[in-house]
Amino acid sequence: MTTPTAGIPARRPLITARRLSDALSHAYIWTILVIFVLPFFALVGFSLTARPGESGAVTNYGYVVDTFGDNLLWSLKISGLTLLINVAVSLPAAYAIVRHTFPGKRVLFSVLTLPLYVPGAVIGISLVLTYNFTYHLTTSMWGLVLAMSLGTFPLMLTPIVVALKDLPVIFEEAAACLGATRWQTYRRIVLPLIGPGVSAGLLLCFIIVFNEYLVTLFVHPPGLTTAPLRVFNQIRTAGLAPTTAALAVTMQLISLAAVLLFFRLFGARHLKGTYLL
Amino acid sequence: MSTVRLASITKHFGATIAVHEFDLDVADGEFVTLLGPSGCGKTTTLRMIAGLVEPTGGRVWFDDQDVTFLPPRARNIGFVFQTPALFPHLSVADNVGFGLSVKGSKKPAIAARVEEMLAMVDLTGYGARMPAQLSGGQQQRVALARVLATDPRVLLFDEPLSALDKNLRESLKFAIRALQRRTAKTAIYVTHDQSEAFAISDRIVVMNAGRVEQIGSQTDIYLRPRTGFVAEFIGANNALRGIVSAIEPVTAADATGSDGLDGGPSAQHRLSVTSDGLTLHGRSSSAVAVGDAVVAYLRPEDLVVLDDDQVGDFRNVVDGEIERVIFEGPTAQLRVRVADREMRVDVGGSQRLTLSEGHGRVRLGFNDLNVVPAEAAAAASGTAAGAEPA
Repeated sequence: MTTPTAGIPARRPLITARRLSDALSHAYIWTILVIFVLPFFALVGFSLTARPGESGAVTNYGYVVDTFGDNLLWSLKISGLTLLINVAVSLPAAYAIVRHTFPGKRVLFSVLTLPLYVPGAVIGISLVLTYNFTYHLTTSMWGLVLAMSLGTFPLMLTPIVVALKDLPVIFEEAAACLGATRWQTYRRIVLPLIGPGVSAGLLLCFIIVFNEYLVTLFVHPPGLTTAPLRVFNQIRTAGLAPTTAALAVTMQLISLAAVLLFFRLFGARHLKGTYLL
Repeated sequence: MSTVRLASITKHFGATIAVHEFDLDVADGEFVTLLGPSGCGKTTTLRMIAGLVEPTGGRVWFDDQDVTFLPPRARNIGFVFQTPALFPHLSVADNVGFGLSVKGSKKPAIAARVEEMLAMVDLTGYGARMPAQLSGGQQQRVALARVLATDPRVLLFDEPLSALDKNLRESLKFAIRALQRRTAKTAIYVTHDQSEAFAISDRIVVMNAGRVEQIGSQTDIYLRPRTGFVAEFIGANNALRGIVSAIEPVTAADATGSDGLDGGPSAQHRLSVTSDGLTLHGRSSSAVAVGDAVVAYLRPEDLVVLDDDQVGDFRNVVDGEIERVIFEGPTAQLRVRVADREMRVDVGGSQRLTLSEGHGRVRLGFNDLNVVPAEAAAAASGTAAGAEPA
């Protein structure tokens, strides 16, 4: 150790343990990122390549615009309806689970989150059985919506349960003492404060349902082809063509847009000024 | 605005008894404080008055309306919590206006009332801010404005100052009292802080282990504690265990009491107590007989250090030896050994400087001891059984 002379700043050595560890951390993060993102860029690149006699990007994405709209519309419709059902079920369920005590509460929560651990194929087969022989729902869009909801509502329920558990009950007590009814308390105090949990659930469910393939394959009614179903059908019939890649890239972009949109709509606004921040 | 009556309300949490047959009458416009250690059931009692906790037994009355099983929203109360509990996503103005808004008041009426309330708590112009932008003291003042805005029948306070620092506590406790006087509202206040209770209350209820120990004014509770718990919980006290050796006839002078204060609502019995070879004179609020085991309490500031030649005009005089002197600024605390027992004596004036550890023997003079039956004193060492929600 040398003592720095007054007025002359001590020179830092070029390589210190700290700099070295920083550099290694950065290298690690970037490596992981590249490994994860690289396949997507490969897909984008492939979707822009041309077959002999075609013009590449224009042809491929022209094909998407011409033929994919119907499938995307079905996917968005199914996703939207599923989200509505999930919210309608999860909000009251989460409130009951967190704020009330009743016998079998833990068992109920476990049963409700069970679909998360059941393989898609199992859900698909059991739903085909139930729908075919019990409800005769296989020819309706609602069969598919219910199937999606069944598989994904735990993803909505869990973040809402977590958000409610984090919300001190004192806000609800204060509202009640100020004369608010239970519904007023819920709508004006609880709901805005658990907003981050609800939006996290919405986002998760949308991404899963929009891209769901396996269960859809089992229970989709004839004539209803969702976007992921179409991509897989295309691979089966036309093989791994640049047009197929263009379909996949389009789906990926919609998922990405959904993430950005959700953060814009819910994330920032509800997080600001909550007790969390 | 309203009287409050608690008729033997009781709360059990499973096997624990949080509050046991609690009776209390609060007059219109009165400020009553529930004072006790944590876990004594005072918060549970307050929450039963608010309707946040349903009693296991007993009744709660506001005027002549039985509100025992009404939900909080139907009681028209103002509840100030330990933390301000302002709605974090609403502005200060929206917080203060919340109570009126849920009752369907029109927007201009709400805005006017909000302005009025913010002015009342000295926060004019803060309406547009978010709660997170205010200091702790300002937040608690907004909470106060929020409950006053709905013009409640009863104000309930659950240790509203305990989360604030000392200077803020001092100023805010008088602000609370001033607002309560100005609005002439009935108030019930919960605290474990004796000086807070003494500063703002009309009447104090001392609670321990889910039961009422004593209800009275500040002077009642300090000068005439009914139980050992009250004597030991409120302020410092010397406790002398002994046996009643004689009951003395009550004289006309006793009507006013030897301490010069009126004797209070209860008759005082005069008696002598033998403790470790000393025979001391005292008085008791409870009926005791010769031979009963008792505890005699004596405040450190009621003991006077006499000059050697002075006989004094005291009912009791004992000799002791100064063992330790703790100088505390305005007063000094002496530890005096009297007949194998250490007694605390607080002295002020020049005595706090002249008396030192080498002083040797001193003569102590004091008037009546406060005598409490030993079984009532035993409760003081018993632990609180009540479970109190945090």
